[in-house]
Amino acid sequence: MTETIHVDQFLPQPPEKVWRMLTEPERLSRWWAPNDIEAVVGHRFTLDMASWGLATCTVTTVDPMRELAYTFAEERTDWTLTWRLVPEGSGTRLFLAHSGFDLSDPAQQRAFTNMSRGWATSVWSRLERELVSTS
Amino acid sequence: MLDDLLFTAMANPVRRRLLELLRDGSKTAGSLAAQFELSRPAVSEHLQVLRRAELVREEVRGRERHYHLTAEPLAAVSEWLHPFEHYWRDRLRTLSHLMEEDSDD
Repeated sequence: MTETIHVDQFLPQPPEKVWRMLTEPERLSRWWAPNDIEAVVGHRFTLDMASWGLATCTVTTVDPMRELAYTFAEERTDWTLTWRLVPEGSGTRLFLAHSGFDLSDPAQQRAFTNMSRGWATSVWSRLERELVSTS
Repeated sequence: MLDDLLFTAMANPVRRRLLELLRDGSKTAGSLAAQFELSRPAVSEHLQVLRRAELVREEVRGRERHYHLTAEPLAAVSEWLHPFEHYWRDRLRTLSHLMEEDSDD
């Protein structure tokens, strides 16, 4: 039994622009983490998650302007991130599914708790700072 | 110790669903059981696990048992169950702000 986290966000730009934010290394790094992503199925890339370390990912789905999926931190987890872009008015609703959390395994629960704490605080504050300094 | 009980309580999808149902207000054991394709005793057992973890409070009124969500441990639970949800909400908000500033390219 695995869990999936679902989050969505409305963005005022059309899917083409949102797609670029998700699939171009420089743009992705501006709101998330340094990376060498490429929207090509089978492409392996890393995300530099600061104190949480490098996260290796493999692209599994590319449906341009519509859906992008990749494994996430595959050396440590069975997570998958799936991004879906749905036109909404003149903008886009971006859906993220972060799947593969196995909360029935107590060891993983603990690892997950500890890891997420460190991750959320460190990466978070760093990105907040960058956002402030570039604006 | 309570932490272990919390983990155990939250590891089960039926129990998580029960907590969700109770978010809308207290309910009787019977109306909760009606939401599942499980026997009433099975649902009662799940409710007892939640009660031991102090996630729900039980109140006997006449022939009915009423269940209430206990707010405090629940805050702790969502803290460990959904830190990534918070994380992602925040990332997506950042993306949204970035795109507002970036509208010229």
